Amino acid sequence: MTDLANVIAVGILLGGIYALVSVGLNLIFGVIRIVNFAQGEFVMLGMYGTYAVYNLLHLDPYVAVLLVLPVLFVVGAVIQRLILAPLRTEPSMQIFATFGLLMLLENVVLAVTRGTAYSVPSPLAEVSVAILGAQIGLVRLLALVAATVVAVALGVFLKRSMLGRAIRAVAQDRNAARLVGIDVDRIYMLTFGIGTALAGLAGCLLTPIYSLSPQIGTNFILPAFAVVVLGGLGSVLGAYVGGFIVGLTESFAGYYLDPALKHAVLFAVFIAVLIVRPSGLLGQVGAEEVGLRGE
Amino acid sequence: MPALNARLTAVAAGLFVGLLASPGPAAAQDLKIGVVNPYSGPMALYGDEMTRGYDIAVDQANAKGGVLGRKITVVRASATSAQEAIAAVEQLTGRDKVDLLSGTYVTAISNAASEAALNNGKLYWETNALSKDLTDRGLPNFARSGPDSTAFARRSVEGVLQLVIPKLGKDPKSVKVWIEHEDSSFGTSIATEQERLLKQAGIQVGMGAHSARSVDLSDSILRAKNAAPDIWLSTAYVTDHNLLLRTIREQGFKPAAKMLVGTGDTFETLEAVGKEALNGVLLVSYPRADVGEAYGPGAAAFLAAYKAKYNRDPIAPQAMSAYVGMKILLEAVTDAKSTGYEAVIAAAAKMDKPFGTYETGYGVKFDATMQNGRALPLIAQWQDGQVRAVFPKEALAPGVTLLDLAGK
Repeated sequence: MTDLANVIAVGILLGGIYALVSVGLNLIFGVIRIVNFAQGEFVMLGMYGTYAVYNLLHLDPYVAVLLVLPVLFVVGAVIQRLILAPLRTEPSMQIFATFGLLMLLENVVLAVTRGTAYSVPSPLAEVSVAILGAQIGLVRLLALVAATVVAVALGVFLKRSMLGRAIRAVAQDRNAARLVGIDVDRIYMLTFGIGTALAGLAGCLLTPIYSLSPQIGTNFILPAFAVVVLGGLGSVLGAYVGGFIVGLTESFAGYYLDPALKHAVLFAVFIAVLIVRPSGLLGQVGAEEVGLRGE
Repeated sequence: MPALNARLTAVAAGLFVGLLASPGPAAAQDLKIGVVNPYSGPMALYGDEMTRGYDIAVDQANAKGGVLGRKITVVRASATSAQEAIAAVEQLTGRDKVDLLSGTYVTAISNAASEAALNNGKLYWETNALSKDLTDRGLPNFARSGPDSTAFARRSVEGVLQLVIPKLGKDPKSVKVWIEHEDSSFGTSIATEQERLLKQAGIQVGMGAHSARSVDLSDSILRAKNAAPDIWLSTAYVTDHNLLLRTIREQGFKPAAKMLVGTGDTFETLEAVGKEALNGVLLVSYPRADVGEAYGPGAAAFLAAYKAKYNRDPIAPQAMSAYVGMKILLEAVTDAKSTGYEAVIAAAAKMDKPFGTYETGYGVKFDATMQNGRALPLIAQWQDGQVRAVFPKEALAPGVTLLDLAGK
């Protein structure tokens, strides 16, 4: 029973991490309709940004969020404007561009750090509590809480705010949105900036858990794709729920089968869901055409 | 006329540049050692560190007049993969005209580079890559001066049997060991040999593998915790070892002893986990520069030379193993009176030096596969943020003792 409680807890906490990493990815996909291969690298940049803030200003990762988030927003907006916007008529080229960005960012960080595995200490990383027989690390719990807050806040923002409505309008029909006076290019830039900032947030909150390496972003991106496909392409709620599906699948397969097989099991489930329900469990049928759902 | 002047100026400039670029008579005599290592990418930290060891050995040899009457120069080529290793060797042998080659931090790079070296008729002298398969290939141009994966496995099992179990005061038959390993050939080859040796000694063994790229290793720790082992024995890379150790703390997993093989002995792990959590953790690693002089004569002098050249302590113990490997190579070349691989391998095969000859405690006696059988890692322990050699006992520096394994 304790085993089961622990496995479920591990899966849910891991789900929180995946949800946090994937929400921005799904937002960008839902609105701009590009699969952003570089999303994991933005998480990595968030981590290194947190390290830089810790090193220069001696600030805890949870405080560093206040600096890293705006910087990543600007980085995302600039990348969208300078790299993706010129390719707006070539959607597949945009995807290749994000792949190029992945390689560029990873290799630049490699060149700067020469592969040294840096870490950022946080007193919270040493705290772990037993709840219902399951051992729960505080930093993972905080990541789960943050993922929940982000999913709810993003949903509310998209539904209730003017900018959120404009984003949804662009997601649903960019031509109609343009006709009613929405600056579509600006919305794309802001959306990419928000998606990048969310990756940066994930990076900050995950820094106390991981040692930083330039490849850590690619370690996240494959499960993140599984999250958005399983949960539902273009759905904020789907990214959140998908995170838990992936987290629990990995946790159960890793514990009860073999840790070395957990990704094989995950991607077997991924392929099965794609075949049975291409739009994902919570995605709208044809979401790849329709775009974002802000429920 | 101006056109003619311009042409003459260009020709003169070309001649000047050509004169600057062409090697002088002294440079033509240099004995060039091509070094293949990852100098970019995630493994660059260790590729650089190993080459610092080579550079110190070469500086010292040059201060004594070089080898075969020639000054030695080290020519670097970066390789982060097998494909790049082949290109690096082609560049070193074709463009740089090196006499022989050495390396390597990574088995896959060594594997490809040494075959490419053979194709170019050059010696490949391995100092650090671990996989036993490298020497098992029987390449005629290949020898390894440092320990292989089997040596790491054997040393770790010696540590379990001769150091940890007596310290725990338990009957060996009642001791349980959990072997955790990353699932590439590095971790698997060491873990498989550990399992064989431990079972042979009548120890109960459980085993788990993980991917070094996994973003969560809680399942691996839960499985180990569920097996309730006395000793947790892990072979992994730096970042997955760090994640495993953090997860151990998070999950409240408290085996009586933890032993890390291959990594976990640098500031990267100290920063990640903190000295409190690391206190008492054992490490199976290359001999460090702080070993006792009785075990590694000259280790203190190596440390002083490293500090003088680089103005800090070594980043990782790989440097001293590389340094010793280069020294053995230069001795073999001297004995061979040639840099041709047949002559150097033949000379190396005749070398017979007891344990404790070199700074790392290594001796030299190559077996039929040209693996140095007198190169062993040692066991160290994290003690209040410092790594101290604790096994075998001759390796202990004055004043160092084995701390409580739980770090108390």
